[in-house]
Amino acid sequence: MRRVSTTELGRYLLTGQLNRRGCLHIRPPRVSAIAAFRQTNPSRTFSNQIETKSTASTPPPANVIPLRKQLKDDAKALKATGKKKKKKADNQTVPGWELTVGIEIHAQLNTARKLFSPAATSFNDKPNSHVALFDVAMPGSQPLFQPETLIPAVRAALVLDCTIQPVSRFDRKHYFHWDQPAGYQITQYYHPFARDGRIVLRARDGIAPEDGDSVEIGIKQVQMEQDTAKTTAQPGDVHWLDFNRVGLPLVEIITLPQIHHPATAAALVRKVQMLLAAVDACVSGMEAGGLRADVNVSVRGMDEGGGDLATVPLGTRTEIKNLSSFKAVEDAIIAERDRQIAVLEAGGVVEGETRGWSLGSTETRRLRGKEGEVDYRYMPDPDIGPVVIGEDLVGHLASSLGVLPDAEIDELVGTYGLSAKDALSLMTLDDGARVEYFYNVLDALEDRLGLVGDVKSDQRHALLAANWCLHELGKLTELSSDLGMTADGECRVPSADLAAILSHLHRREITARVAKELLWGVFRGEISAGGVTQTVDASNLWFKELSEQEYEELADQVVEGEDKVLAEFLRFKQGKAKVFPQGKLMFLVGKMMRAGTEQRMDPASAERVLRARLENVYLPKEEAK
Amino acid sequence: MLARGRPRGLRLCHGCSVTGQQRRLLNHFISKAPESEPEPTATQQPPLSPPPHAPFTLAVKDNIATTTHPTTCASAFLSTHHSPFEATIVTQLRARGARLVGKTNLDEFGMGSHSTHSAAGAVAQSSLSLGDDEYSAGGSSGGSAVAVAAGEVDVALGTDTGGSVRLPAAYCGVVGFKPSYGMLSRFGVVPYANSLDTVGLLARGVGRIRELVVGDGGVAGGLWKEADSRDPTSLSEAARGRCVVGREGFGGEQKEGRDVLRGLRFGIPLEYNIEELDPGIRDAWAKAAKILQEEYGARVVPVSLPSTRHALAAYYVIAPAEASSNLAKYDGVRYGTRDTDAASDAAGGVLYAASRGKGFGDEVRRRILLGSYTLSSEAMDNYFIKAQRVRRLVRKDFNRVFALDNPLHERETFDLTDLDESIEMEDKWGPEEVDFLLCPTAPTLAPKLADVMKQTPLDAYMNDVFTVPASLAGLPAISIPLPVAPETENVTGKPGTAGLQLIGQYWDDARLLAVADAVSKTL
Repeated sequence: MRRVSTTELGRYLLTGQLNRRGCLHIRPPRVSAIAAFRQTNPSRTFSNQIETKSTASTPPPANVIPLRKQLKDDAKALKATGKKKKKKADNQTVPGWELTVGIEIHAQLNTARKLFSPAATSFNDKPNSHVALFDVAMPGSQPLFQPETLIPAVRAALVLDCTIQPVSRFDRKHYFHWDQPAGYQITQYYHPFARDGRIVLRARDGIAPEDGDSVEIGIKQVQMEQDTAKTTAQPGDVHWLDFNRVGLPLVEIITLPQIHHPATAAALVRKVQMLLAAVDACVSGMEAGGLRADVNVSVRGMDEGGGDLATVPLGTRTEIKNLSSFKAVEDAIIAERDRQIAVLEAGGVVEGETRGWSLGSTETRRLRGKEGEVDYRYMPDPDIGPVVIGEDLVGHLASSLGVLPDAEIDELVGTYGLSAKDALSLMTLDDGARVEYFYNVLDALEDRLGLVGDVKSDQRHALLAANWCLHELGKLTELSSDLGMTADGECRVPSADLAAILSHLHRREITARVAKELLWGVFRGEISAGGVTQTVDASNLWFKELSEQEYEELADQVVEGEDKVLAEFLRFKQGKAKVFPQGKLMFLVGKMMRAGTEQRMDPASAERVLRARLENVYLPKEEAK
Repeated sequence: MLARGRPRGLRLCHGCSVTGQQRRLLNHFISKAPESEPEPTATQQPPLSPPPHAPFTLAVKDNIATTTHPTTCASAFLSTHHSPFEATIVTQLRARGARLVGKTNLDEFGMGSHSTHSAAGAVAQSSLSLGDDEYSAGGSSGGSAVAVAAGEVDVALGTDTGGSVRLPAAYCGVVGFKPSYGMLSRFGVVPYANSLDTVGLLARGVGRIRELVVGDGGVAGGLWKEADSRDPTSLSEAARGRCVVGREGFGGEQKEGRDVLRGLRFGIPLEYNIEELDPGIRDAWAKAAKILQEEYGARVVPVSLPSTRHALAAYYVIAPAEASSNLAKYDGVRYGTRDTDAASDAAGGVLYAASRGKGFGDEVRRRILLGSYTLSSEAMDNYFIKAQRVRRLVRKDFNRVFALDNPLHERETFDLTDLDESIEMEDKWGPEEVDFLLCPTAPTLAPKLADVMKQTPLDAYMNDVFTVPASLAGLPAISIPLPVAPETENVTGKPGTAGLQLIGQYWDDARLLAVADAVSKTL
């Protein structure tokens, strides 16, 4: 189940010449400064610079109004107009129109060095501390391709089922922006390193119901390219630049225009993120700013070409840039689709243009039209030779991809009995680290329970572990604290300690309530690592269950005077009622729990004893009356 | 051209004189080390043993990075640019005993043929023998050529993109060598057109250059051996090993004098006999060929390079295209002065336009616009792509006429129908193959500076017609002084030498230098 990390693989494939610095080992916090910046100030591409600059004398309003307040205001405004937001699930199609979407996803590769300089990659280090001469386009400096960046890139392409091209090349894409020191970005325009992939989305991935059980989306190509510098807007017409990010390696994944529903588009981006994380190709997920998406949206009428759409070209498309969440992808597509339909229905023409989207808004906004379109003047980079990727490298990386998410979900569902939804959650939480944590807990638990060998027919302990890793652990962080989950699946609740709690619970040595309190104790640090059993001992929390006789006495006690309830059971027994009055039974169990010493009682035992008591003693008595 | 004034940081050296002939403002240095100032490395590392080579003085073209002087590229944008690092070639030459004297003037970023497009002012060559007029020093390494011609330095570094070392060498009567592409490291050379740029060397004789490039058995060895991992286009050790197979002269087994020339085959490219060729140069070229054939036992045969006529056009598409890309980094954000008056970044406005417009000179602006156009999506196919095809044809032409194979390419087959009809077939396989090509470096002698100023840009581009093909093919080429008989009606002035160019097959640099050495002694 364990995946080979990029570091180890790099060491193996590149004969140990590469070292690795920076903070790649540390998972970034879930909402980093960068993510916050990117969401509010998307000035990273040319398309946005005009917007940024036009408001440059005063800081962009998006920076000032807190998102929460903005959302609230928006909701109020919406309410005031009397319009009701349509539920997204009902908004996947518009009768009479076909939506077509293609997506470009940018993801930061997990590497130790930049794409064309030996400077270290870093996440939140001191600004401008990892910058080589080439990174700031020092006159006379030259690019030095770092071959190790190919490892995560090729893995990303393989997991998307692409054909790796034996020879690929780098081109320069020209545009002026202060975050682009050379005046061009080095990318792979003419000869990308991977082509013709596909990604299969299933119902459980969250695709639109209209897409059925599964849908396959083609990947046109995957290319490597450089990231830009990070801009931090300061008061006044001042921008601070951090060149640590300039030249970081990215992959751009371009899908074919084969998506026809907004939810499916969001599901695709989510799945790409999951797949990239699964093969350790990507530094961080969308929430942390390591992944961004641009979407191309067009619509056409269902009745065009006499209803035979195969003969009709796609409508004019618009591009929405820099979407930084799954929700934004879906919402922006819905908004843009509706806008285009409204334009066409009013007899207008859709302009090919670039549009933007702000979180929480209801409409896309125009950034620039075709006349303002930048001619990127793509040119092969004359300093960089072609990249030749050998079949041996591809073969090795393909064979070491590890278990892919779909197979893993199948196993979680099939073997351990999780629901598909829970399995998916487990896989995606904490950038894929939660499921690692689950495996750690499960291993430790099986050790403690003495379960060995491959055949474990009874998987109740695994289901228990999964539920706790997902739901009980989730409750710990409901109040804004962090689990501190690491990539290899450890957190503030050591897996060994959770396994200890669960082993006692599984053996019914403690109650669920005690187990939960122990979990909080470990989380808060009140119980030191390895101290679970000791705490149970010291505080005398062991579950000393009532004897059968004590249960029976309690049962007798609560049945006393419940004649009406007994009559219900009698009606069922005599066939006068079709359904067993389970509710009444549980009412009595509840009474038992309250009457007795709860710490020593198991509701299941109470129910069992009570039921037996009713069957064997009270009902015959009633019948006899 | 100088209307915007001399940028701060550019220092001119007036009348840096060595001989009584050189008293006028030549403006060939942009910055110069004071005579007394000791070399920084010399003070830091006192040599424990005598240096492996006899010390020599070196001038460096100002588009090559040095830490001791500013690196301005003769551009207002970089007028105060102090590079934080030193170019590999400068370090290599210092290890061989070079003492850096100064940084020489050039056409801004190497773009020009007369060293007149400089923010530091035009370079001139002038001497008593030339009369009162100032003459073009050639470009773009004009400052380096003048420094060598004036005897102020032993060796000067230039850069040769389309003839920028060979042309000034021809105009100034010195030797200018452009090595095979990928032999000398470009790390620290501010790029003009990366796929064509090479570091070149200028000296008064071939011997000095040969010593440095091929080595003389001394401790440091020849420059040709040294791969530079910081330059991705510098050939790796392994590639150098492969290229040197079948090449003579790199191992120090040189023949000398007449023996070098005996039996060699020189090709005279028929397409180089153009209408614009100065008759005096044509005569001198023919005479040189005759001497080689009749007195030194070499064979001289006509050859055809049919793609030559398109080479100049292809060069002026490819080089500006790469230049427009390379110079995109000069936007006033990191280098040069930002034009803060212009509302350059307003919505709908064009970014950085004002700063870039002010920072660059006319010729650089012209080539950036040319390059931007030829790379634009509407013109790309018709210009850039076509020019690359022409470039391939030019290389093919050379591969066909040279007896040696080009180690970088598979052997190709050629269509004989492309050849000029006047080419004789040696056998049924085609015409005779040659060792070197022999041709003029430039179609004219150095023009008067005043005349240059009246020329259209296109006239200036014509000067590169004979030098560009070798650049496009990445081949080694050298220009040696070729005495031209003075025309009877012209008594004073007029330079007495043109350049004779020898072009060799790829990585045949060692033999090219040996042959050039021998040929220069016959002229």
